[in-house]
Amino acid sequence: MGRYLIRRVLQVIPVLLIISFIVFALVYMAGDPVSLMLPEEASQEEIDSLREALGLNDPLHVQYGVYIINALQGDFGKSYRYNQDALSIVLERLPQTLELAIVSMIFATIIAIPLGIWSASKQNSYIDLIATGASVLGKAMPNFWLGIMLILLLSVNLAIFPVSGRGTLMHIVLPAITLGTAIAAEMTRLIRSNMIEIMQQDYVRTAKSKGQKDSIVTYRHAFKNCLIPVVTIMALQTSGLIGGALVTEVVFAWPGMGQLLVQAVNARDMAIVQACVFVIAVAVILMNLLADIIYRMIDPRIKYE
Amino acid sequence: MMKRRFWLMLLVLFMGTMFLAACGGDSEETASPNDHETDSDVEGEEDTDGATDDNTEVNSLVIGVGADMASFDIHNHNATNTEAIHINIFSYLVVRDGDGGFDGYLAESFENVDETTWRFVLREGVQFHNGEELTAEDVKFTLDRVRTDETLIEHNNFNQIAEVNILGDYEFEIITEGPEPILLNRLSKIGAGILPKNYIEEEGWDHFLSNPIGTGPFKFNEWRRDDRVVLERFDNYFGGDVTEWEEVVFRVIPESSTRVNELLTGGIQIAENVPPAEWDRVNNNEGTSIVSGPTTRVMLLTLKQEEQYATSDIRVRQAIDYAINNQAITEHVLAGKGTPIQSRVTPGSTGAHPDLYDVYNFDQEKARALLEEAGYGDGLEITFNSPQGRYMMDTEVAELIRGMLSEVGITANLEFMEWSNFVDMHSNGTNEEMYLVGLGNSMFDAALGMTSFHSRAAHRSGYANPELDALLDAAETNMDPEERHELYLEAQEIVVRDMPFVFLYQVENISGITDGIDYEPSVDELIYIPNINRN
Repeated sequence: MGRYLIRRVLQVIPVLLIISFIVFALVYMAGDPVSLMLPEEASQEEIDSLREALGLNDPLHVQYGVYIINALQGDFGKSYRYNQDALSIVLERLPQTLELAIVSMIFATIIAIPLGIWSASKQNSYIDLIATGASVLGKAMPNFWLGIMLILLLSVNLAIFPVSGRGTLMHIVLPAITLGTAIAAEMTRLIRSNMIEIMQQDYVRTAKSKGQKDSIVTYRHAFKNCLIPVVTIMALQTSGLIGGALVTEVVFAWPGMGQLLVQAVNARDMAIVQACVFVIAVAVILMNLLADIIYRMIDPRIKYE
Repeated sequence: MMKRRFWLMLLVLFMGTMFLAACGGDSEETASPNDHETDSDVEGEEDTDGATDDNTEVNSLVIGVGADMASFDIHNHNATNTEAIHINIFSYLVVRDGDGGFDGYLAESFENVDETTWRFVLREGVQFHNGEELTAEDVKFTLDRVRTDETLIEHNNFNQIAEVNILGDYEFEIITEGPEPILLNRLSKIGAGILPKNYIEEEGWDHFLSNPIGTGPFKFNEWRRDDRVVLERFDNYFGGDVTEWEEVVFRVIPESSTRVNELLTGGIQIAENVPPAEWDRVNNNEGTSIVSGPTTRVMLLTLKQEEQYATSDIRVRQAIDYAINNQAITEHVLAGKGTPIQSRVTPGSTGAHPDLYDVYNFDQEKARALLEEAGYGDGLEITFNSPQGRYMMDTEVAELIRGMLSEVGITANLEFMEWSNFVDMHSNGTNEEMYLVGLGNSMFDAALGMTSFHSRAAHRSGYANPELDALLDAAETNMDPEERHELYLEAQEIVVRDMPFVFLYQVENISGITDGIDYEPSVDELIYIPNINRN
């Protein structure tokens, strides 16, 4: 296990290097930030002198070299817009994004596990069909639309939840539902199909024929065995939530990384974009590693060479 | 069994449809709230009450803005929305009087001694938020920083200053590199707030950035990035008791529909930049309304005048101008929130031409005749670029212009561009015949407005007229206000005659407010809290 972990961590280095180069090249190709930093009425001399002052006239490889040497020391440069260390700006937003991701994930899990098991055990019943219909709908609804609809219904018309922002517990409900719905839908489908397959296995029949209670058969014998794909999906979705709550954060004015990234891309604030992508990449790698460790805890047959 | 499944499927389908229909109803309400007026009325009453309850204790004002401020480094940003907040914390030496002139602010008096020397006397007893007194040392420190550090974004607006000489505790002079008629304009815009020298030198620049102090009516309390900026009233403000608000919160709400929802539910009292699609929703809700005010931004069409383009022919440019009905654009697309104009210098700025405001040319017959004369009687095809979502209703305006042009026989191939690509094209001059852009004038002076027409800026339009260059050069260094004014009037007349750009209209700034708040968006787009009162 220890050796496995070390190998996994070492694998991260080339991955991060490749990601850093791709991101750098993409942002570089996207164009010149100086014209965006100055207003439309700025003169050519103003643009030229600022570009020179910021070192943007250097060739690509020189800029990348400077960037990577600094990045190795945890320095992603200064944000043009905030004129501050980019990584610290991104890390400042990370707790808010994590908070939203975790609450969304809890919401999704609370909905998906009982619903999935229930609809598997009552296959083709009303419950099952309603759950199936709801899953398709939940997965098909775009985030931003669901978010705006929830605001109109629950905040503007019924005045139950605040419209936007972050502060009290009530503030997190709507964005968490918005983000959690699609995940709950996907997990419900996954749990249902896995459970149906497992419930037909010999050992389940054996357990049943021994006279075990239905709940013990379902939860202890069957459900535990369908957890591996569920854990995979949860790990992937959590890392997706860390990097991918862009639209939802903007709609709910949630001050997290997603909103920051959207603004940085629009303003070509390279340092912030690179630092964001770096943090997201680390999050994805960590979540995958975590999933691997949990596999082993769930299923002792899995060995790490 | 099969039959049962069929009915179940039908049930699920039915429920799904019901759900979608219910949600669809909501979005309809957004689009045309007229149909649901009763609902809105009830809602409005509740909400307004809620808002008042919330705010009676602290007496705080909450303003919803579209983007977070950039930084407290007043010299290293160029964002009006950042300055809109800074203006409450930092003070300028002088302020515009709204009529092209200036009043003293931190400066008690000022005079132009000779072509390159300006002498200022500061008010005595002006306190920074930490209690220290403002002196000429602070002014020198502030201006020296921005005029010498080339990496600062505002450097180019202040490098005309050669030196700042301290004459006494409250007296100093500014020496400019050459004659600088718009020095006072520079001293009353972004980057001109006066910083506390001792505080910064003792605590360091980084400490200042997270704990800024100035001499304005509000002091900094908290900045949660992308969430809110909170300011607190400064009770020792040199101007006295100027505002009833004890606390001001600028909340960052990027999505405009969310900003409006916050206004409707009483979460904020002012919503900045409300797009036209939301105006009805705000106006039809009891307790909220839309307010607007003019800006210095002028929407216009830049026309390329290099030889290979048809727009190098003045008759084609005039035909485009005659083909466009400016009034129809402002009335039908912008619901009256805009005024036709024939110049880049708007009323209230120095050098504004009174005869070029609220006028436009529209004559389709004349446009066709001009095209015929220019040899395009059989039709003309041009490229037309426009940004999308940058300016109010830009997409609709561009499409309407395309329609108007096609009526006189000009096929404009309209290409919408993502903003950062558009800016590249705009600043590098890689545009073709025509593009739509809005240009502001943060200097409130014809000098900035007219730079687009000088041959120095010819890479965008290819326009160069030595006669105009001579006039602009003369005006740029002329220290006599009246002579300058005349020079700029003449220059604007030449521009109208040569028509390098086709001017469309002056843009307005639109906000939503809660009843009981007296607020009018100001022409410089800044949000100066002492100007906002309760009715």
